[in-house]
Amino acid sequence: MRAVSIGLGFLLAALLQLAGVTVWPEFALAFDLILVAVVFFARDGRAVAALLVGSAGGLLADALGGGPFGLHGFADTLVAYTTARVAQQLVVERSSGVLLVFTLASTLQQALLAALGLLFLPSVQLPAAPWMVARALSTGVAGLLLAVGQRAATRRLLARRERRRTGWRG
Amino acid sequence: MSSRLGRPLLFLLLGAQLALLTWQVRRTHGTLGLAGEVTLRLTGPVAHAFRGAADRIAEVRLRAQQRRLLASENAALRAEVGELRRERLRLAALAVEADRLAAALAYERAQPLGLRAAEVVFVDHSSRVRSLVIRCGRGARINQAVVAEAGVVGRVIATAGAYARVQLLTDRAASLGAQLEEAGSQGLLRGGPDGQLRLEFVPRQLPVAIGDRVVTAGIDGVFPPGLPVGAVAGVEGGTEVFQTLRVAPAVDFRRLGMVFLVDGPAPPADELVRGGDAGR
Repeated sequence: MRAVSIGLGFLLAALLQLAGVTVWPEFALAFDLILVAVVFFARDGRAVAALLVGSAGGLLADALGGGPFGLHGFADTLVAYTTARVAQQLVVERSSGVLLVFTLASTLQQALLAALGLLFLPSVQLPAAPWMVARALSTGVAGLLLAVGQRAATRRLLARRERRRTGWRG
Repeated sequence: MSSRLGRPLLFLLLGAQLALLTWQVRRTHGTLGLAGEVTLRLTGPVAHAFRGAADRIAEVRLRAQQRRLLASENAALRAEVGELRRERLRLAALAVEADRLAAALAYERAQPLGLRAAEVVFVDHSSRVRSLVIRCGRGARINQAVVAEAGVVGRVIATAGAYARVQLLTDRAASLGAQLEEAGSQGLLRGGPDGQLRLEFVPRQLPVAIGDRVVTAGIDGVFPPGLPVGAVAGVEGGTEVFQTLRVAPAVDFRRLGMVFLVDGPAPPADELVRGGDAGR
């Protein structure tokens, strides 16, 4: 069930990312919806699952971006693992905390991408600083919205279950 | 289990990703390779579909914008057309007014009588007295004769500053001395209930034809002689000696726009008729 939801989440993120790029050429500079999905799924603290999710998400991002494969794969794997390890240590429930986690994850990813690009790619051109800031902030906001939505949906689901349970008893 | 597996798996995955990255950079020299080709085959159509949808949305938006622009332009043009139509109507009304004033001026200049133009404010057929209210510059005096281009209109029965009320010939209480222009026989002309006039005391032996002109006789001290009053429209009873003629007024009281107050002294009748003909 979780694998299905992760797959659907990645599919949705990929479609939205593609749609965004087709509408606005600079969309990929300002948004990384695959990373949002990766961090979102890694937040539950399971490191192995986070590794697999990060790796798959990174490769998907590489595929969408036209390669080379392994660039986002490496960065997203490390970001997902780090997120999972942080989530094991800290329970982040407040909105500001969630915003911070996603923003820092994006910052870390961009730093890793820049480093990998400088190390491995023959001619790399790093994005301008405003775009990097925008991408970190957009990831934070998108992650926050996703987390808030998930929280509301979970609350509604629990309430419905509770109503059913009490109804059966009555 | 999970924590024990986590770190080795991390290094394994990171190593694999780095190896993949290094291999690609060395091997493909910027090309995508098989995996990239497969990915492109999968994502290309999707991106193309999105592009098409985006283009269609942009086209729809463009069309909507153009439609809005055209609608606003259309509304502006309609308003302009309406304004021009109103302006044209106004100019047409001004032209009619100018023609009317020019004709009145020509009539006034052609008449030997001392005439003063007065504007008809409204015609009152509904009150007890059939009358019209006029506006004249210097004011009018009671019993002053009022004429139009076509003939006699009535006499002033009330004044108030620049305004005056004129009793129409067709009022039942109105009367004046009149005569048949051809036969020269005089009689008393009164207003009738049907909007026509009655010429009384016309001798029976006098031959009268329909359409004979009736003019003022100049014997009542109000109207100068020879002013057109109307035309014989029929014969109605009377006594053994006199007959009563039905007279259609020369003036169409519903279409009066400008009338004239007779200011000067009454000149000879033949001179008046000639002046009236010249005015018409």
